[in-house]
Amino acid sequence: MRLAYVWDSRKCIACMACVVACASANYPELMREAKPNPQWNWLAGNIRVIVGENGGKPELRLISCQHCENAPCVSACPTRASYIDRRTGLVRIDHSKCIGCKACLVACPYGARWLNPATMLPEKCPGPFCSKLIENGLNPVCVEVCPAGARYFGDLDDPESPVNEELRKHRVERMLEHLGTNPKWFVITG
Amino acid sequence: MKTRRRDFIKLSAASTLAALTMLSVQPHSVVGRMLAKQLLLEETSKKPLEGLRFVKTFCGMCGALCGIRVGVDSSGRPRVVLPLNGHPQRGLCGRSATAPWLWDHPLRLKKPMVNEMRGEARFKEVDWDTALNGIASKLKEIVSKYGYKAIAITHHDAWSYYMPLFSYLFGTPNVISHVSMCHANGTVARGHILGAGGPPAVDPDYENASFLVLIGRTLSTASMGALHRARTNKGLQIVVVDPRMPEIGFGDVKWIPIIPGTDAAFALSIIYVLLEEELYNADFLKKYSNAPFLIKPDGKPLTEADVVEGGDPKKYLVFDAKDGKLKDHKVALDPDLWYVGEVTLKDGSKVTVKTALTLLKERASNYKPEVAESITGVKASEIRWVARKLALSNGVVDDTWYIARNWNDYDDVRSFLIINVLLGNIDKPGGLCFQESSKFPSVISVKTIEGKKVAETVYGARMPEELFGDVTKTRVDRAKYPLTLSTFDAVLDAILEEKPYPIKALFIIGTNPIGRDMNTRKIIEAYKKLDLLVVIDIMPTDDADYADYVLPDTIFLEREEITSTKWTLHASVQKQSKVVDPPKGVDARDALWIMFEIARRAFPERAKALGWDDKYADYEVYKDEFLHKLDEAILSSLAKAWNIDKEKLKTALEEEGYYVLSKKKYYVRPYKTALATPSGKAEIYSLAALAAGLDPLPDYKPPPAYTPPKAPDEFYLVNGKSPLTSFQASLMEPLRFVGDRSVWMNPKDAERLGIRDGDMVELEGIDTGWKARVRIRVTERVREGVLFAYATVCGRMSKLIPKDYFAREGVNPNWFAKGYVIPIVGGGASNSSVRVRKL
Repeated sequence: MRLAYVWDSRKCIACMACVVACASANYPELMREAKPNPQWNWLAGNIRVIVGENGGKPELRLISCQHCENAPCVSACPTRASYIDRRTGLVRIDHSKCIGCKACLVACPYGARWLNPATMLPEKCPGPFCSKLIENGLNPVCVEVCPAGARYFGDLDDPESPVNEELRKHRVERMLEHLGTNPKWFVITG
Repeated sequence: MKTRRRDFIKLSAASTLAALTMLSVQPHSVVGRMLAKQLLLEETSKKPLEGLRFVKTFCGMCGALCGIRVGVDSSGRPRVVLPLNGHPQRGLCGRSATAPWLWDHPLRLKKPMVNEMRGEARFKEVDWDTALNGIASKLKEIVSKYGYKAIAITHHDAWSYYMPLFSYLFGTPNVISHVSMCHANGTVARGHILGAGGPPAVDPDYENASFLVLIGRTLSTASMGALHRARTNKGLQIVVVDPRMPEIGFGDVKWIPIIPGTDAAFALSIIYVLLEEELYNADFLKKYSNAPFLIKPDGKPLTEADVVEGGDPKKYLVFDAKDGKLKDHKVALDPDLWYVGEVTLKDGSKVTVKTALTLLKERASNYKPEVAESITGVKASEIRWVARKLALSNGVVDDTWYIARNWNDYDDVRSFLIINVLLGNIDKPGGLCFQESSKFPSVISVKTIEGKKVAETVYGARMPEELFGDVTKTRVDRAKYPLTLSTFDAVLDAILEEKPYPIKALFIIGTNPIGRDMNTRKIIEAYKKLDLLVVIDIMPTDDADYADYVLPDTIFLEREEITSTKWTLHASVQKQSKVVDPPKGVDARDALWIMFEIARRAFPERAKALGWDDKYADYEVYKDEFLHKLDEAILSSLAKAWNIDKEKLKTALEEEGYYVLSKKKYYVRPYKTALATPSGKAEIYSLAALAAGLDPLPDYKPPPAYTPPKAPDEFYLVNGKSPLTSFQASLMEPLRFVGDRSVWMNPKDAERLGIRDGDMVELEGIDTGWKARVRIRVTERVREGVLFAYATVCGRMSKLIPKDYFAREGVNPNWFAKGYVIPIVGGGASNSSVRVRKL
């Protein structure tokens, strides 16, 4: 199984429901204590927002863990705390093995990891709450909350999964694909 | 071999069972979907996932009231908000997602407070009795001197259903809401062209539309049901016309940047192209609009009373092309849309009459695309493209929502609605459609029972006419702006000038006039002159600093309410269920209880007549008995109106959170049911406007609401809503990071002025002189010559908000707006012009 995320950039309305819901669902203790995500100067959640402007119509990108099949964070981890879960294909962190060396934060070309200010250990998508949802065959919170129907989640190995349905119909791109990371986070662009 | 999803799910079947039954989240694979169906049918486990229990309710972070589920953790704390799938107005947006931060927000109002020095926010916590008795005593004094009408109440969406009740409770007509700074101009226009009411009364059929034009409107703010329908409609092409690119513009949406305040010129130009290129729906116009009505030189329609002694003034005459005779529109077989000719009146005089459509074309001819280009900054070719696309794709122009911007907005919306009428795309799939009424009962209505006039509440209490007080007196805003729905600026005038009579006491319930209304200085000056100012709210507002009493209201997560579903074309009702009790240390009470308890102490006979028993002073008894009685009465009324079983309705609302009473039926108005316009038709030439002394046709007028920017350092300052903010949501912790408190400037302007992204500048209102410092965001999302700031997101001034709190950053656009109100219509204008000084 290779679980993947699809984000339809054509439909997204930048309402931030996914960004906020990710934080409230996964890191409630940081939320209560108003502890931000120090790496991104952002709320304690796994999705950040980038607006690209290059003279034309501004473009939006939502960034979170790309669940690379060739994941630099996994290669960089000295203790194998970062690993690819064979059952799901998702990149995961086993915090019991993590020594907080931050090598993964540096290695990730997407800047998708951040340091939990309470534990000083790295965090990334999926957070603890969404991990439970996924283990139970459900969508992560960001997909569930989207009012625009711009997010999909599913198994690339299942031809009938909603992600494959969307990937078949549209023009898609993967971010920083040229680095050879083979990410499983797809952006529908047309 | 790779693990199949099917096998993986098998591994954790027990917990899946629990999760799916409790969460009913949409599974992410076909396998999951099948599994979910089986498990939901079994319903064998009630073990909540991760210790969360989910409550179906509707959101109250803004006035849209979308369907949501709130997850509460084992400690009783709201943790996550998810959409309520299947709800006709499914949530949710960024502000709804911030709701978990609201419940125990450190700034939440916790106890009643009395202000020991107005304006300085020197508050002292007091018990409820002290606060309520103090307010009641002052009210009695005011009423004895100035009458009940000296009391005014202003509000927004919270508790709005009960406002007519409060009017009778306090004997005052002056319940005056926020709408002059929101949809008022559009709502008057909807009434005049289509005989419709507030923004949801007519809406594009987003899920079936093929081409949607949003002028000054963004679907990414509030009404997430509408947004969901539009964005999941795969065949829909969207164009937004706006000086700044709204959030929806990030998607596959064409953005046309327009010069602020020129929307009517743009729309009239589209009308010109539709008429000139014969792209209108002639059949619709002939039968269902007043386009063929003949208009006399005095601007009035030609009626039978004009040509025949004793004729009917309600019989509007048209020229029947079938036989070349003048006839009542109702009996003409082929009304001529373009007739111009001489008519002999009953006194023998002769006048030249023209059809309403001819007059509209004459008006629109002033805005040929090349002319409109010079006014709007939109290329003539783009105007023609939008017009042709609208006609060829059976398109629809949104009727707007928040439109209090430039003073001339009433004409904007009239033009937008007329485009839809010309296209004939009214109450058809994909067109501009009328909402089905939910037949929701009014909280109070005046009836004649046994020959006596009484005000009867939905729960059966009757107030005799002798106790009406000043309810039937003219409202201070209607005395000044006869068509207005609500103009708070007139309340300020009544406080400051005591005309048409003085206002001495003001209740502000769940709203923030300093944030929402223009001309901040005038508001503060008026507050200082009041004898009594009471703020009932959940979080500190800038207005609270000037209040004598600040009373903590409950939040939507803590109360129960049944309402109509707002943003759907279906007739639907929904239930707000209590998710949590107020947190420890918060002694909040429903504003409904607060207002009754003030009245019971000040005017006991009034409270009693409206069914308020002394025992409801006990808050628990109020919740158990009064609210129960209220809900039961509403349910009984709905069950009777729809001829459905009350228990079935009640069970559905409790279990599902909503109940669709009737699906949208197309082709009803104006086809089978007359519109609520004077002629019963869609009026491209508004007879109601004519009667009110307004121009019956829309026109473009340069907005007098602000001095146009001229010098290189002068700009329009426009504003708009954000999908993250309402005046309460703006204080939630995520906004520290995701809230945009900057002012946007186009890169070309920034380069010219030597300003870089992130630089601090000083803005000075050209008309108000108000100065404020703000950070500039250099972005292509705003057109040249224009600055943009989000409304209600920032610039908070209350001393109850800590000095270093993020919401103090940025500007409140209303600081710079000079306070110009549209005559007769009564809408305000929040846009302004400012001077920029680099710091």
